[in-house]
Amino acid sequence: MSFQVMLTQLTNGLLVTISIFVLTLIFSMPLGFIVAFGRMSKNKVIRWITQLYISIMRGTPLMLQLMVVYFFPWYLCKIPLSNGWRFPAIILGFSINYAAYFAEIYRSGIEAIPKGQYEAAKLLGYSKSQTFMKIILPQVFKIILPAITNEIITLVKDTSLAYTLSCVEMFNAAKQIAAAETSMMPFFIAALFYYVFNLLVSFIMNRIEKKMSYY
Amino acid sequence: MKKKIFGLIAALTLGTLMLTGCGNNSTGSNDDNTFVVGFDAEYPPYGYMDENGEYTGFDLELAEAVCELEGWTLVKQPIVWDNKDNELNSGSIDCIWNGFTIDGREDDYTWSVPYVDNSQVIVVNKNSGIQALTDLKDKVVGVQAASAALSVLEDVEQQKALADTFKTLQTFADYNTAFAELQAGSVDAIAMDIGVAQYQLNSRGNGEFVILEDHLNAEQYAVGFKLGNTELRDTINADLQKLKEDGTFDALAEKYELTDMVCLD
Repeated sequence: MSFQVMLTQLTNGLLVTISIFVLTLIFSMPLGFIVAFGRMSKNKVIRWITQLYISIMRGTPLMLQLMVVYFFPWYLCKIPLSNGWRFPAIILGFSINYAAYFAEIYRSGIEAIPKGQYEAAKLLGYSKSQTFMKIILPQVFKIILPAITNEIITLVKDTSLAYTLSCVEMFNAAKQIAAAETSMMPFFIAALFYYVFNLLVSFIMNRIEKKMSYY
Repeated sequence: MKKKIFGLIAALTLGTLMLTGCGNNSTGSNDDNTFVVGFDAEYPPYGYMDENGEYTGFDLELAEAVCELEGWTLVKQPIVWDNKDNELNSGSIDCIWNGFTIDGREDDYTWSVPYVDNSQVIVVNKNSGIQALTDLKDKVVGVQAASAALSVLEDVEQQKALADTFKTLQTFADYNTAFAELQAGSVDAIAMDIGVAQYQLNSRGNGEFVILEDHLNAEQYAVGFKLGNTELRDTINADLQKLKEDGTFDALAEKYELTDMVCLD
């Protein structure tokens, strides 16, 4: 296999890795908000359910969760799987797992805002939703940004877990090329790809952080 | 700036979504015209990635030939070997066709006719001083997880007694890692199928490794279907027979240097 073919194969894998990465962010970040509000809800039952959800998602390995998501329709409901279920199952597995982590990050940001700000806003005649959208949220965004960056970088590397469900993302592609070539070289190239990917992510997040430091 | 970044992310997502599903895997479904073959993509010469980055191998080319006879579209689905039963039982693949050993699994799958005579062998470093199976006493022996070699070594009626003399029986996910460890010295020997061992030795060249003369056992390969799926099995059996008669089968065996091992007649 020529070096060029190897690179093409790894790039194909990288595209799959990027789709998992982007789709997971798109689904898990908003879902995290819902979970965070559930976690802070005044309703005891909702609070209890979301707490249980977060504790399960954070307390069990993501690899195991992926397998459960992929295989549960068959083992629980006896619905035969189709090969097309593989990719959606991976996105679903990643999204519900990362939503739990994002929820806790959001909560840390929201709870960091002093109570006095709510009282002051009320005094100034802001409604509850106005207070949240116009005063609280912009500050929350700023506070949680470093933690979010951390989580996003972890996600880039976690995409390799999709290998468990036989998805040919970059790590799996590297493994297959390594086996065909009986060489360890593809792993080094894959590592370099992951590193450059993360460098780009940190660069973008840094720019956003700088933009946000308006006071 | 923020808008630009979000725009960039959105464009990236759309772009990648259009370019990929999960590789070419997501297109396959179990309707009548596709034939989804599950295989370990790290198992040359039966199933692996060739110089052009395409999946190929003796078994996959046979499957391709069967699909041509039947007018099916072949979907080559690489699977994690540990998960093969889940994949087959849940219906996400139609069969396991990948140097799949019958012996020890007779009652677990519906089997096609056997087409390759295989044996399990031990590979060691040339200078290790290990020459016979008895020399493996107190050594670390590597084996692929969920493989036929492992079941031979765990079977009381076969080589369990031998395996008990090992210092450790270390399981690996794939042979590439196992060979790296053999080279590095953290394992002393690897148990595997002879066809795979020959491929590994050939492609690693320099005569660093040898196959022990004593084999662990003799066994046969066939295509494995979900238990009870005799309809598909019968179709494949008939097609294999046709491929044998028109010479395709023997030509493929020669191409992959397996002529000494094939046993279809």
